[in-house]
Amino acid sequence: MNSISLYTERDSIIHHIHPTNKVIYIFASILVPILLPSFAVLLGGALFGLILLLIGKVFKRALPMIGFVFLILLTVIIIQGLFHPTNSVLVFTIGPAAFYQEGLLYGLTITLRVMNIVGAFLILVLTTKPSDLVDSLVRRGLSPRFGYVLNSVFQILPQMMVSMKTIMDAQRSRGLETEGGLRVRIKAFLPLIGPVVLNALTHVKERAMALEVRGFHAEGKKTFLYEEKSYIATKPIQWGIWAVIGLAVIGRLMG
Amino acid sequence: MKQIIVDGLKYRYPGAETLALHDVSFEISKGELIGVIGRNLSGKSTLCQSFVGLVPHFYRGAYGGKVIIDGIEVKKSTIREMSRIVGMVFQNPFTQISGSKETVYEEVAFGLENIGVRRSEMIERVEQALEMMDMERYKDRSPFDLSGGQMQRLAIASMIAMKPQVIVLDEPTSQLDPQGAEDVFQAVERLSHEGWTVIVVEHKLEKIAQYADKVLLLDGGRRVDFEIPSKVFSRGDLEKHGVTAPVYTRVCRALDCRMKDSDVYPVTLDAACEVLKKCP
Repeated sequence: MNSISLYTERDSIIHHIHPTNKVIYIFASILVPILLPSFAVLLGGALFGLILLLIGKVFKRALPMIGFVFLILLTVIIIQGLFHPTNSVLVFTIGPAAFYQEGLLYGLTITLRVMNIVGAFLILVLTTKPSDLVDSLVRRGLSPRFGYVLNSVFQILPQMMVSMKTIMDAQRSRGLETEGGLRVRIKAFLPLIGPVVLNALTHVKERAMALEVRGFHAEGKKTFLYEEKSYIATKPIQWGIWAVIGLAVIGRLMG
Repeated sequence: MKQIIVDGLKYRYPGAETLALHDVSFEISKGELIGVIGRNLSGKSTLCQSFVGLVPHFYRGAYGGKVIIDGIEVKKSTIREMSRIVGMVFQNPFTQISGSKETVYEEVAFGLENIGVRRSEMIERVEQALEMMDMERYKDRSPFDLSGGQMQRLAIASMIAMKPQVIVLDEPTSQLDPQGAEDVFQAVERLSHEGWTVIVVEHKLEKIAQYADKVLLLDGGRRVDFEIPSKVFSRGDLEKHGVTAPVYTRVCRALDCRMKDSDVYPVTLDAACEVLKKCP
């Protein structure tokens, strides 16, 4: 089945860490660099993220995504190196372009901050099944209806793309040009919107009825087909991350 | 005692000018397999939805008369409560997949999780339902990877796992190939043999003739007939109501070969062969 999930099945310790701990780790990767904006903390955080991806055996899978983000961030380093308002110490020149230490360091700081967050997100999405994440959140009090919406996005969206392709083929068979330059594509897009939206709306209504007769709005406590997966050292890991956040807060207050 | 009582049911959709159902009355006994036939817009789907409470609770609109199932009046109940008594399978197999489960096994358990069935009982019911619909071999597959017929059988399995008293199937084979349709009808027949009350809306009249105990013929939202298949399909005015009798019935009518000691024509292949052998 087509899936929009990036989950990569591997047998690693990271795959056996509780999904909510990975969510808290994302929170920490955003918060700690804000609280302690030193270069060492940022570099340490980014390296730690890469090490976790390596342990999770998903580094290779993560590399194109990291590369793509890094490529965009490279422009930030270049622009800051050239034009940052505090630029004064010249590091090197390429032809007429002069790069300054202050700007380069500022650009690098932004890059590391983003890489920290990207790394944490990649750890979550590459090593956690979306359904496991939603399941664990629902067990911890997330509304089952909201959980359903999250879960169904991963399953229904690829199916909608398939139906869009069918509609596109149908329109193409009636002589609609759908390939070519940007103008042709934009022109082709408009006649597709109607059938795609109408089709989706009809499906939504039918699916709502089908869910209704399957007790979707039933009152009372929901039960689960599977027992909750057992994860490794859930509490120690969780307290460990909270401790790092706590130390960062203390460090900020004291420093 | 009758399990389903429909008494003077009238219904008009919000914004519509005409009634979708007009003074429809009939009664169904427990364990009967009822075929509902009629031309498009004759009120078949609306009637189906009135059993589970989608009419009037989901659509609203003007409602009159009564539908009583197992002593519970649908109008005074809720869809939530009725879904424990009545299971409904819709026309489009794709939209009945919840879309939130990764395997067929999990999909069947979806409704049971919603209504809070204990885990051990849930597993038992899921396995029973899959076995009954001959779907065990697909239990680890993604529901979206099934064929139309398999998806429809999955929808039925999901329904019967919830152990309703009545199962309503609204044109369950309309989007299926002949083999898929045959599989679904065999599954429906199994349900009927297990003692479930089954109501099935269908345009494939040969199937209705073969499997149904009684046929309800609707036209323009009104009940035209509610009788055994051979009586309904032998009506001279059937085509006036937008329904063409099964081919076996038409052949026997053309040759004027009726069932022995009766004024009705055969409706199944076997019965037609029997009659034609003895026909002068």
